[in-house]
Order: sequence, then structure tokens, then C-alpha cells
Amino acid sequence: MNERPLLPRNPGPDWGFRFLQQVQRVPRWFLQPLLAVGTWVAVGLMPAQRRHSRAYLVRVLGRRPGLADVWRHFQAYLEFLLLRLRVAGGAPVMCALEPENAGVFEALMASGEPALFGTFHFGHSDLLGFALAQRGRRVAMVRLRVTNSEDTAMLEQQFRGAVSFIWVNEPENLLFAMKSALERGDSLALQCDRLHSSRTEGFDFLGARRRFPFTIYHLALMFELPVIFCLGLPDGRGGTRIDVSPLFRPDPNLGRDSNLQRGRDHFQAVLARLETRVRQHPMLWFNFLPLNAELPEDATKPVASIG
Amino acid sequence: MSDPLNARLKTLIVETLKLDDVNPADIPDDEPLFGSPRFGLDSIDALELVVKLEKEFGIKISSSEESKQALASVGALAGFIRARQEVARK
Repeated sequence: MNERPLLPRNPGPDWGFRFLQQVQRVPRWFLQPLLAVGTWVAVGLMPAQRRHSRAYLVRVLGRRPGLADVWRHFQAYLEFLLLRLRVAGGAPVMCALEPENAGVFEALMASGEPALFGTFHFGHSDLLGFALAQRGRRVAMVRLRVTNSEDTAMLEQQFRGAVSFIWVNEPENLLFAMKSALERGDSLALQCDRLHSSRTEGFDFLGARRRFPFTIYHLALMFELPVIFCLGLPDGRGGTRIDVSPLFRPDPNLGRDSNLQRGRDHFQAVLARLETRVRQHPMLWFNFLPLNAELPEDATKPVASIG
Repeated sequence: MSDPLNARLKTLIVETLKLDDVNPADIPDDEPLFGSPRFGLDSIDALELVVKLEKEFGIKISSSEESKQALASVGALAGFIRARQEVARK
């Protein structure tokens, strides 16, 4: 009798990452058509992801997407997986900051002050924690533990001592693991689009009021730490352009409610920035899941507490 | 007469978690703080309370298990703090 796995798994076959590792060694002119065919196979074999991709593309493109659009969406993700594997294999994360807010980011990095780095499943953003580690930060990355993520295991090995993982699907200890990491002076890297164990609130995104995790701002207030969001965009040459948000810093002279309201304003501005990028690069939204749930237009208060 | 530590803890809980509609004096010493519909507290509230208690009383609560034990009720919390302070004094 088959037992149900205790942990979720990445879609796709177990041999997928090993296969991608191997095919990377073949010349690019040969690899490209191979990947194109592989992407069609993935589109064919992953009906749930295909359905969510379509639903998202309808929203962002404003038209009914063709199968070729879905293929491009899958292909963009495959390209990112290949980059992730290269980094896991020892290649450096090649980053350059976009000029806007670069000074704020550089000052934060130079200060050594622990911070809360937020990001989303968009473009190269998933590599943020490793890019920070390359610059001498000790980072705890909050992730979903899955059974078949060999690339994450390789990345963990590659960045041992600089990057640690906190598993979001171990909610019993999630918040205390974050607390311990912050108390030992690590920074936290959190992806703030998927709803796991977090307090959520309603924000405007892609034409609707939607539920997003807001835990990062509660942590900022509790531990008196700054919050900064970074988006990783492909530069077209295998590197990454980092788009940095303005910094949010809790004001000790204000009460909790006022600071949380400032946090809401900050996060709404971050989401507006993300939406601009998503509309510029629609295929880089790497959530092959239902879009964040829609809420009534006037939903401003916390809408749920999970965990 | 109410234990002064219990009374202080009740005020701290109400203030930290902004339980505006709860009068500290009305919290029974043995009422569960988490899982009680009266308070409606979640894990972030628990962490917030833990951080505040650590600052206020110089104690350390470093796991979810410990926090469950400590935050079972006001009475349990007072006992936990006394035990930790006792250990620290030795």
C-alpha cells in the first residue's frame, strides 16, 4: 500500500533536476531545442500548473492566452531553474543594482545591521538570499520544504555557514526559528506572496483587493528591524538586475498601530512596484498556483491568522 | 487577594496584544490564553508576547514547546517566570 508523503513535492518527475543538470553540459545550440521540447512535455504533463498559468495570464495579459503563451511561461521558469542549478553548482549570482534606492540598499549592507529582506516568486528573486550571502550576510531563508528539491539541498551545501533554511511548513517552530535566527544576528529572507503560516491582509494587486502575507512587518516591529524588498530581473546575459524598494524602518516614537499602518502603506507601494514589473515581464511570475484570493474592495483589516 | 505578578502579567498581556475590550482584572488566572475564543490570539501574538516577556522579565523562551508551557494561562506564566528567575539567581 502506498503511504501519502508527509511533505509536499515539486511538480515534475523526481529525476527532473538531475536531468537538467546533465543537459546543461551540452552546447547551447543543442540544448535550446531540447529544452523547447522538454517545456512542451511539461506543459502537457502538468495540467494543474497549466490551468493556473492560464488563469494568471488572462488576468495579466487582458486576453485569453494561447498555448504558446503558457509554453513561454513554463519556459521562463525552466530557464530560471537552470540558473538556480548553475548557482547550486558553484556559479556566482551575478547581480547589479538598479539605480533607484541603490544607495539605501548599499548603506544597509555596509552597516551590517540584520534586516528583513522581502521578495516574491518573480524572476530571479529566489536567488536573493544567496546573493546576500555572497556579500557577507548570514541569511536565514524561509522556504517550503518539499521532498524532491535536490537543487535546494545543493544550494544548502554550497552556501553552508552563510545561508540556512527555515521551513515554512513546520509551523510549530517557524516563528521561533525566525526569532532564533534574528537573535543570532542573521538576516531573514522571506517570500511574501504565498500564504503559508502567516498573518495576512488585503492589498491591491492585479486589479483586485487580494490577500497577502503581512508577517514581515510584525517581525519588523517586534525586533525593531528594517524591511527592504528586492526583485531579481534577468539582465538577458545570465545575470540579475536587482530592483530595490525604499526602506521601511519602524519608528520608535510611534505606537504599534501607527507603525503597522506605515507598514501597510509601504507594502502597498512595494506591490504596486511589483505589479509594474509583472506587467512588463508577465512570464516571470513563478507562482503556478491560484492568484492570491480576492477580497471585498474595502478589506483593510487583517483578514486571517493562520498558524 | 490577587497575586501582584499575576496582576502585572494581565495588564502586560492586554497592553501588548491591544486587547482593548478586555479588562485585565477580568482574566481568570487559569483561563487558557491561546485557543480561547475570548482572546482570539494566534502564533504571532504568542511571539509578540514572548518578546515582551523576555524584555520585561529577563527570561528566555526559545521554543514553541516552552511558549506553550509558559503561556498556558496567567497562573502558568507566573509560575514559569518565577522558576526561571529562581534558576537565574542560583
